[in-house]
Amino acid sequence: MSVCLPDGTIIVPEGGPAPVSSLLLSLGINPLEVIVTKNGRLVPEDVVICGSDEVKIFRVAHGG
Amino acid sequence: MEGEEVCLPVCDACRQPAVYYDRNKGGHLCGAHLVSGIEARARSTIDRYDMIGGGDRIAVGLSGGKDSSALLILLSKIVPGYRGASLFAVTVDEGIAGYRDETIASAIALTGRLGIPHRIVSFESLYGRSLDAILKRGKYHPCTVCGILRKKALADVAREERADSIATGHNLDDEAQSVLMNYLRGDLARLVRRPGERKGAGFTRRIKPFLEVSEKEVTLYSLLNGCQICLPECPYAGSSLRSEVRSMQSSLEYAYPGSSLRLIHGRERLFGILDHDALGKERSHCPICGEPCSGTTCQACRLLVEISGENKDNKKRFTT
Repeated sequence: MSVCLPDGTIIVPEGGPAPVSSLLLSLGINPLEVIVTKNGRLVPEDVVICGSDEVKIFRVAHGG
Repeated sequence: MEGEEVCLPVCDACRQPAVYYDRNKGGHLCGAHLVSGIEARARSTIDRYDMIGGGDRIAVGLSGGKDSSALLILLSKIVPGYRGASLFAVTVDEGIAGYRDETIASAIALTGRLGIPHRIVSFESLYGRSLDAILKRGKYHPCTVCGILRKKALADVAREERADSIATGHNLDDEAQSVLMNYLRGDLARLVRRPGERKGAGFTRRIKPFLEVSEKEVTLYSLLNGCQICLPECPYAGSSLRSEVRSMQSSLEYAYPGSSLRLIHGRERLFGILDHDALGKERSHCPICGEPCSGTTCQACRLLVEISGENKDNKKRFTT
């Protein structure tokens, strides 16, 4: 399982299946400020990721 | 594949795979139900504030980013329902190297796809220099300069094109942040300025159909209607009162779902209690460009005169 963060960093979370929102919160990312794709498909942030899932996080809220 | 499908949350309405979790209502929605829900909400906002009338000519501010692209798509579906109403898009090229080219290309592609007339104007052609050039002096806050001059550019084009209103892609998050900022600044006149308010002779009305749709929903709406996941960040984005308020508002909304909407509805209740005109400054017309403004010279002309240091030349440029 790999997760591509908004800044392009790729992380490989440890542990078993977990909702993306938990991962985001642990990284200090507010789930309301991003959209998530899992294996190329738009998904809600409470989707559970596991196994060989490829997840991408896109930031929707910018500063300024 | 079957295992993957099982893991995906499904839409409460149709059991198709969900793309969105609505924390406010506590339910999942698929793409189709999210899109129809957003359109119904925007239509209700438009009607409640009487934002569009039959025969209206609407200028849509189109940067080519997610919010304005979503707005143009929404209005292209809704406006034909208002007899004689029409749309055209206006893109303002501020002149930000490495950022604007991509979004302008998106704006051109979208207006082409929707068959909507499109005008592109630039700071360079309107004001004699790009935002990058203006900011080289390092004296100004990028978002302040950009906001003031872009607003003027849109107003100028709207007036030239005889538009009845200017539609912008501001969403619920933007509005909730503005309410909080107005409280923090103690600016009661702005706080109780009604969305879509007709401000009198010389002003082109501004409307915000996404007033009650969150930024995340607007982004998804844009993607689900065929726009690409292209969310470039302006290189000038940085710390500002708004960016701090945005972070606060977003955290509050996550912890207490619905707080942004309650903030907007709370402001709405103030409309009937507080008198905007009594709280605001007296209205006059700018002696340089002739635009209606509060105070003497309008903010944009004050800024342009300061930037150029050539008061006389600016007077010539903006009175022709």
